[in-house]
Amino acid sequence: MRMTAERFEALTAAFGADPSHWPAAERDAAWAFATAHDEASDVVQRAAALDRALDAAPRPAPSPMLLARVTAAAPLARSARRAWRWLTGAGIGVGLAAACAAGVAVGALYSPAVTAAFSAAAQTSDDAVAEVTGLTDDAG
Amino acid sequence: MLRAGQGDPAAVRALVGRKLGRVLSLAQRMLGDLAEAEDVAQDAMLRVWKQAPNWRPGAARFDTWLHRVTLNLCYDRLRKRRERPMAEPPELADPAPGADRGLIARDLGRRVDGALQALPERQREAIVLCHYQELGNIEAAALMNVSVEALESLLARGRRALRAALFDLAAEA
Repeated sequence: MRMTAERFEALTAAFGADPSHWPAAERDAAWAFATAHDEASDVVQRAAALDRALDAAPRPAPSPMLLARVTAAAPLARSARRAWRWLTGAGIGVGLAAACAAGVAVGALYSPAVTAAFSAAAQTSDDAVAEVTGLTDDAG
Repeated sequence: MLRAGQGDPAAVRALVGRKLGRVLSLAQRMLGDLAEAEDVAQDAMLRVWKQAPNWRPGAARFDTWLHRVTLNLCYDRLRKRRERPMAEPPELADPAPGADRGLIARDLGRRVDGALQALPERQREAIVLCHYQELGNIEAAALMNVSVEALESLLARGRRALRAALFDLAAEA
């Protein structure tokens, strides 16, 4: 693909100065143009200045609470599902089952994600747990 | 993805580590409000967990699917904002350039966020997908249901407006 000065300017005006952001189909031609033409330098510098300004807005990091909520809602491993079914199927009260489940989960998996899910179960009903965790009787 | 869907704790942690920040960033830049962005990120990840057990490799690129889900959730919220103006809209930085050149990084970030939020939604979406999320033009255009030419036009207009709003920053190179 042949690159012209007009096209190179349009490319950087839209995609900025970082070649990795340029369309793949034109990247090589644009790079060759930039390295072969002095006038491309001004165009690139202008686009790079805006790129740097945009990057002054930091990427937000997930809070520990968000991480915990998302991880606790993840699907549970098969062994944890079996433990939960056994406890709920045995007719143990919800509060007792949830408390025991937390212990079972720790012993079975040593997994913070699973223990968090079971801990959550201590405060809610079976249906609510199923809704949050995706753990239903017909699951997997 | 499949292992995460089967409840493999290591796969769950890896997926959360790789994708949650990316989803949160997309939502925050689209909505300009961190609390709302966290809600969207959580909803998007819940859909991942729901979808994970049935995920078929090759059916669709996971990252593209996740971006589509997140964008749809963002647009739901933006639509609700239009229908019911918020009592307290997200606090945005004044897009007018400040006279002082000693702005701390947080203020710079707030100014850029404010300029982004001042863009028309489609221009903002194009900038967020291509600059911040680093999607290719074909993938971004497909997500936005526009041609690559239309995407390029949105990007060029968006960047022009951002340069005008941030001209003192963009001229500091």
